[in-house]
Formats: sequence, structure tokens, C-alpha cells
Amino acid sequence: MEIPYVVVIILFCLGMYTIITKKNLIKIVIGFTIVESSLILLLMLVGYKPDGTAPILDKGYEIVVDPIPQALALTTIVIGGSVTAVMLAVVIKIHKRYRTLNIDEIRKLRG
Amino acid sequence: MEAAVLVIISPLLTAFFLGISRLYVKKIFFPLVTGSAIIYLYLLILVITNSYPAKVYSIGDWGMLGINLMVDPFSSLFLLIIAILFLPFIIFSMKYTKFIKHDYFIFAYLMIAGISGMVLTADLFNLYVFLEVSSLSSCALSLQKKTDRGIEGTFKYLIMSTLGSFFILLATILTYYLTGTLNMAEIPLAFEDIPFKIKSTIMAFFVFGYALKIGLIPLHAWLPDAYEDSPIPYNVLSSGLVMKSALYALIRILYIMFGIDFLDESGMLTIVVFWGVITFLIAHCLAFQQSNLNRLLAYSSIAQIAYIMIGLFVGTEAGLIAGSFHILNHAIMKGALFLVVGIFNYSLTAVEIEDIKGLGYKFPIISFTFVVASLAIVGLPPFNGFMSKWLIVEAALEADFVYAAFFILVGTFLSLTYYLKVIVTLYTKTEEELLIEEPGLSLKLPTIFLGSLCIVFGIVPSLPLSLMNKIPKFLLDNGEYIRILLGG
Repeated sequence: MEIPYVVVIILFCLGMYTIITKKNLIKIVIGFTIVESSLILLLMLVGYKPDGTAPILDKGYEIVVDPIPQALALTTIVIGGSVTAVMLAVVIKIHKRYRTLNIDEIRKLRG
Repeated sequence: MEAAVLVIISPLLTAFFLGISRLYVKKIFFPLVTGSAIIYLYLLILVITNSYPAKVYSIGDWGMLGINLMVDPFSSLFLLIIAILFLPFIIFSMKYTKFIKHDYFIFAYLMIAGISGMVLTADLFNLYVFLEVSSLSSCALSLQKKTDRGIEGTFKYLIMSTLGSFFILLATILTYYLTGTLNMAEIPLAFEDIPFKIKSTIMAFFVFGYALKIGLIPLHAWLPDAYEDSPIPYNVLSSGLVMKSALYALIRILYIMFGIDFLDESGMLTIVVFWGVITFLIAHCLAFQQSNLNRLLAYSSIAQIAYIMIGLFVGTEAGLIAGSFHILNHAIMKGALFLVVGIFNYSLTAVEIEDIKGLGYKFPIISFTFVVASLAIVGLPPFNGFMSKWLIVEAALEADFVYAAFFILVGTFLSLTYYLKVIVTLYTKTEEELLIEEPGLSLKLPTIFLGSLCIVFGIVPSLPLSLMNKIPKFLLDNGEYIRILLGG
């Protein structure tokens, strides 16, 4: 039961590590998607019950998984998708102007 | 339908129809933007005047299962700020924007929808969704000028703001995991059984996430960069509303979900007051070094937000009133300052302090507005900034934060130095002839309106304070909020 949570923690830390250390803009965006998917996984785990079925409240289904986290996960996926899209759009703009994706070469603003 | 629901829906609808009008009917653009801004103003006034006693709107009659909206005095304060800033913003940007107007106004309306949703919602996950709506469209707005610096600043803003949202989302999920509910009234009831350490951890995630969005000092680096080359009317909304709405969410979560007793017990109040003092001291020093007007005002915004944090987190009734009053005042003062800079930028593309030399004689009324607003933000009587700063100092003394009160006075002198620097440059005579594009009435009128509000609220502070006197009742004692929300 603990293993999925460990996976979440590993993914979260991996994504954060990518965001903080990488110099390439695309890799930074990838780091964000990794963190986001770890959070979605966490949402799914919160609602999970062993042997649970789909949340249809009818006779015969006694153990059902919690439906709210699944709805939240869908919303989070949509938000994550739009954040990634905006980020990639900005990256395209940056690449068109500077012809590079290295974060050290495009830093004009300091402090 | 209820007016509070329409407050969220109508800007969304406007954004949608603006998108259609961009593709098919370009003629209806102007009446659509201004007309819906005026209707929106009417809706806001309707909600604000009916805000006391606090009301709950149950959407779709789902009761406690659904997502409820709640109007209480603290949220109506933010609706009041939207009401004051939004119409001047629209009028000003109509003339100011030289880039694609449709995109700009679509994002502006989306941002307003997100902010009003954040302010009204009583559901934790909904708060996160609206936060993302407002901050994503805010990023898109700051990109609109499409200059090198603007794009880079936006990328920084986007990275930091998304990082903040991840921590907020993580804390939200953990809250759901522990309590099994997302309703802001049920969470504090369920939180009573949770161990102290786990609650503190969740609170730390919330505070870190929102502090990134607000831009408290070690986490502030994106803010001046994002302000530097973004459209200047957007900066009015950004410093007046976007930063404040993150602050609103933080206050609501800490005071309602965790409760003032827990904040006191865990030492959060002391930490935030200390953090605020550090923030405004450093921000004032950094603002002094800036030569770009936008960056100077951005650092000044950080410092003012720190004052507000101190006011709201001393944990007394007087502190909450003072902090809320400063939220309103800062929105007005910073709005006036940014609009004046916007006029200078429009007329002769000035961004540096050197560029505005001698303009005090060319634009007498506008420059006078700048002087009024900057003296108000420094905190000199008889302007509104003095009133709220005085109340904050008084509240800090009353709550035994003597060092905070002392350093606020020190900070006042620090801020006086850099604002005086700008004012002196403004009124220095020069011999050069300047090519000036005359700003029309549609640029001057919003500026003068905000500038005159600085004086009005300074002379008659009882006008806004009558609304704010009811705020502590809902924040200091979360029982009142919970009772109303559960009862509805």
C-alpha cells in the first residue's frame, strides 16, 4: 500500500530537481509536467480503495472508490495542459528571438 | 439568477463574445467592451450593497455537496477594488494599447472572472481553479507587448507562479485526504482532530505557495521582471488585484480553515510579521537603486504588500481593519502612479527616471496627481496612505509588535527618499525640446479619478471604514463564517 505513495514522492522530487537544475527551457517544462503528473497520481491514490468498483450507487456495489478526487484529477489535467501550452508558447517565442534554449545565454534581466 | 453568480459569469461571457467578434464582427468590439464593463460595475455595486449580512449562494441547489458561493464583508472589499479599478482600466487601455486589442481585452476579462471567482468561492479546490485562471491570463497579459524583456519576464513569472500553484495544489490534496471534504466550512470542523504537526506541514505548503504568488522577499525575483516591460495599464490590475487576490486566498485559508488560535499556537503570526518587516526593509532598499520607473513601483508594491501582511497578521481586530484598509488604499495609490507612468510612456515613451525630467511643467495636472499619489504611498497626511499606515502602526503597538511599529516608521523614511528622487526629477527644469504626443481625455480622466480618490479617502476615511469594520467579525472568529455557510 505504501509503494504508490513512494512513487509519488520520487516523481515530485525528480520534477523539482529537473526544474531547479536544468539549463534547457524545454527540460524545465518537462520538469513541470512531471511534478504535475505526480500530483494527479496522488489525487487518484487518495480516492482509491482496494477492490473498489466504479462509483455507481446502486445495489450490488458495496465498496466504491471516492468519485470526487477523480473529478478533481480531470480538472487538474486540464489546468496542467493549459499551463504547459502557455509555457511552450513562450518558449517558442524565446527561441525565435534568441535562437537558443540555453537559459544562461538569454538572461538580460538581472535582479 | 443571483447577482453574485453573474459577477463570475458575465466577464467569462464577455471574453467569449470578444473572441467571436475578433473572428467575425469587428465592429461590435468597442460597444461590447465598454458596455459589459458598465454592466459589470452595476452588478458589483448590487452585490456590494447587499453584502451585509453575509449570504450564501448554493449553485444548482446541491446544498453542501455542491460548490457554494459566499459574499461576506472581506470578499466585498475585493469586489469594491474591482469596481474602482476596472472601468478606469478599460477606458485607459482603449487608448493606450497599440498592439492587438482583442487579445488584450479577452485576457483582461478572463483575469477579472478568475479574481472574482477566487473572492467569492467557498470551496478549496474551486479556489485553486480560479487562481489558475487568473494567474494564467495574467501571464498572457504581461506578454502582450512582445518585446524581448517582456517575454523573458513573463517566462520567469510563469515558472514561479506555476511552482507556487503546485504547492497550493499539494496542500489542497492533502487537506482532502485528511478531512474528506473541500467545503471551507466543514474543513475546520474536521481539522480539530488532526495532529498539530500534520496541520503545521499543510499550513507550511499553503504559505510557501501563496508567498511565491504574492512575492515576499526571498521569493520576489520574478515580480519586477514581469512588471518591467508589460503593458502599463495591466500593471494597475496586477499590483492592485492579482497579488492581492493571492493574499486574500492566504488570509481566508489561514483564518477560516486553521483558525486564529492555531495560528497563534504555531507561531505563524510572529513569523509572518517578522517576514513582513524583513520584506519591506529590503524592498525599499532595492527600490532605491532602480532607474526604471516600472521596476521602482514594482519594488514599492512588494513593500506595501508587506505592510498589509503585518496589518493582517498581528491578529487583532484593529490590525485586520487596518490591513484591509491598506489593501484598498494601495490599490488606488498604485493605480494612480502606474497610470501616470502610463501617460508618460504613451506621450514620449518614457520608462527611465531620467526621461521624465521637466515633465512637471508640461503636464501640470498629471504630475500633481503623481505627487499626491506618491506622497500618499509614502504615508504623509492628509492622504489615504497616512490613515491606513497609522492604523497599522497603532495595531502593531497594541499587539506588542513594537519592533514592527518602529521599522514601519523607518520604512516610511526609506520610501520617502526614492519617491522624492522621482518627484525632484519631475520638477527639474530642462532646456531640451520634447516631442510630445498629447494624451487625450480618456487617458487623463481615469488617472485624475484615482488621484482624487487618494485625497477623498484621506479626508473622509469613515467612508470605506464603515465597510471594513465588519471584516474582523468574520475572520477572527471562524465560527461565524462556518455557521452561515453550513446554514445556507
